[in-house]
Amino acid sequence: MVPVLKTLVIMISSKRRSHAQRHLNTFKAGINYAIVGLSGSGKSTLLKLMNGMMVPSRGTVLVEDCKPDQRDRQFQKIMSRIGYIPQSLGLVRNSTVLDNVMMGALPRMRLMQFLLKRYSEEDLEEARRVLDKVGLLGKEDRKTYMLSGGEKRRVAIARAFMQGPRILLADEIVSELDGTTSREIMNLVADMQKDTRLTAVMIHHDIRLALEFADRVAVIQEGRRVMELGVDNDTILDFQSGDSTTQEILEMYDDPKE
Amino acid sequence: MTPKSNLVIGMIGALVVAGSWHIEANPGEFVDGLPNLWLLGGEVVAELAEVEYRMVDRAFWSMLETILMAFIGTMVGYALAFPMSLLASRNLTSKWVYAPMRGILAAVRTFPSIMWALLFVIMVGPGPFAGVLAITMYTLGFVAKLQYESMETIDADPMDAASSIGLSKLQIVRFVVVPESASHLLGHLLYMFDYNVRQTSILGLVGAGGIGFYIITHIKFIQYGKTAFFMLVVLITVLIVDWVSVKLRDRYVIKSQRGVVADVP
Ligand SMILES: Nc1ncnc2c1ncn2[C@@H]1O[C@H](COP(=O)(O)OP(=O)(O)O)[C@@H](O)[C@H]1O
Ligand SMILES: [Mg+2]
Repeated sequence: MVPVLKTLVIMISSKRRSHAQRHLNTFKAGINYAIVGLSGSGKSTLLKLMNGMMVPSRGTVLVEDCKPDQRDRQFQKIMSRIGYIPQSLGLVRNSTVLDNVMMGALPRMRLMQFLLKRYSEEDLEEARRVLDKVGLLGKEDRKTYMLSGGEKRRVAIARAFMQGPRILLADEIVSELDGTTSREIMNLVADMQKDTRLTAVMIHHDIRLALEFADRVAVIQEGRRVMELGVDNDTILDFQSGDSTTQEILEMYDDPKE
Repeated sequence: MTPKSNLVIGMIGALVVAGSWHIEANPGEFVDGLPNLWLLGGEVVAELAEVEYRMVDRAFWSMLETILMAFIGTMVGYALAFPMSLLASRNLTSKWVYAPMRGILAAVRTFPSIMWALLFVIMVGPGPFAGVLAITMYTLGFVAKLQYESMETIDADPMDAASSIGLSKLQIVRFVVVPESASHLLGHLLYMFDYNVRQTSILGLVGAGGIGFYIITHIKFIQYGKTAFFMLVVLITVLIVDWVSVKLRDRYVIKSQRGVVADVP
């Protein structure tokens, strides 16, 4: 399988902290990755590097053989197929569920279509299909601010899937939800990930959820991947750093009281 | 209170006193002038009692003209302000675009509407058209500032999310900026129309159309009663416009801002 996301030596300029180790982070196509790590370890930054919201000051990030840069024409095409759900979800509060979901289809719409919000029949059909998947069919005309936390996440997921994504990047999207709702949402994403066989990189706050839903779990520390767990056989497949901090992360996650 | 703020207050007080002396303000004259109000009041009541149909007719049509001028000026100015405010928003364009755009808008704002009216009377001749142009320019400068300020307060998260999934600037404007600032934008429109009805009422003073023409003419002929009649018409109209815009604001602006337009399924 071809590696889809390849991040080589990610480095963001920061005077106080310098995460300058040379290393290789590769995400393979079609795999559902979870990223865990202490807060401040650079998880969100890693995602932003992959969709071009941030550009590394040193080192190289490659996504589908292209350097992520939002101003680059070639990357813009790739970008429209990268579903990105930030921790805040990034929904437009005063818009309807349908308009939020349709944002995913905007890069392929014509000028008058989006200016007048005259969606094509195919786009509407696709939106209904995705909304049905996330369980929001019938709520298309609801304003987003009226929805519950779980429903808002469903809208964000629907928006990402409306893009027809090849890659899904999600940043702690279930952290604030209760256990049951988190599992519902994660099940949904896992189902859709399997359907579309996309590459998912999802940051998790809770390592239990990560182990439950991901194919592989990557532990990030100081901006780089220090190890990777294959969930199927529960063995540590990649142990690049054997230092004591890595052990501490594992131990921290072993202890439910943190 | 700190000694520093005491000093500032003292200096402001001194400036007010010195300034009043300079412009020969005399509180005595104000008190002496109070009885004149009584005389005027009597004259006004007497003249109002015998208002002719001709004057009512004039007042009605000139007030209508005033409202129309304010309406057209508000709408055209508002429509022109919108694209300019997009270009002037710091979160939507680069420094090379928003800095000059803000400069232009600041320059447009330096003129009060009556000065624009003077300019346009010279340019296109006296009449309501000059007034409409004046209101348009005033609205443009003023509303664009209100608009770009509220566009700049939009939550950055949906904008970031939108640009990171590959939406163009225009798509972001249509799907994020407009919905997120819609209630403010409508509020500005109402506010501006309200304000413009008042402003347009005096543009007639420099020959730019509207009911102000009659007010200035009757003052020139020292017909205070007739002047007062036209001013009364302005007052009543402004109260009505004010009331209607408060109602509209309550209905469409406040509610959507607080998010109480819930529909229970
Ligand atoms: N590769 C890196 N190089 C330099 N600084 C980084 C790197 N990754 C993250 N940082 C810095 O570390 C801080 C925390 O990063 P963030 O991605 O928000 O962490 P997390 O999401 O894991 O809590 C930020 O100030 C960020 O700029
Ligand atoms: Mg984070």
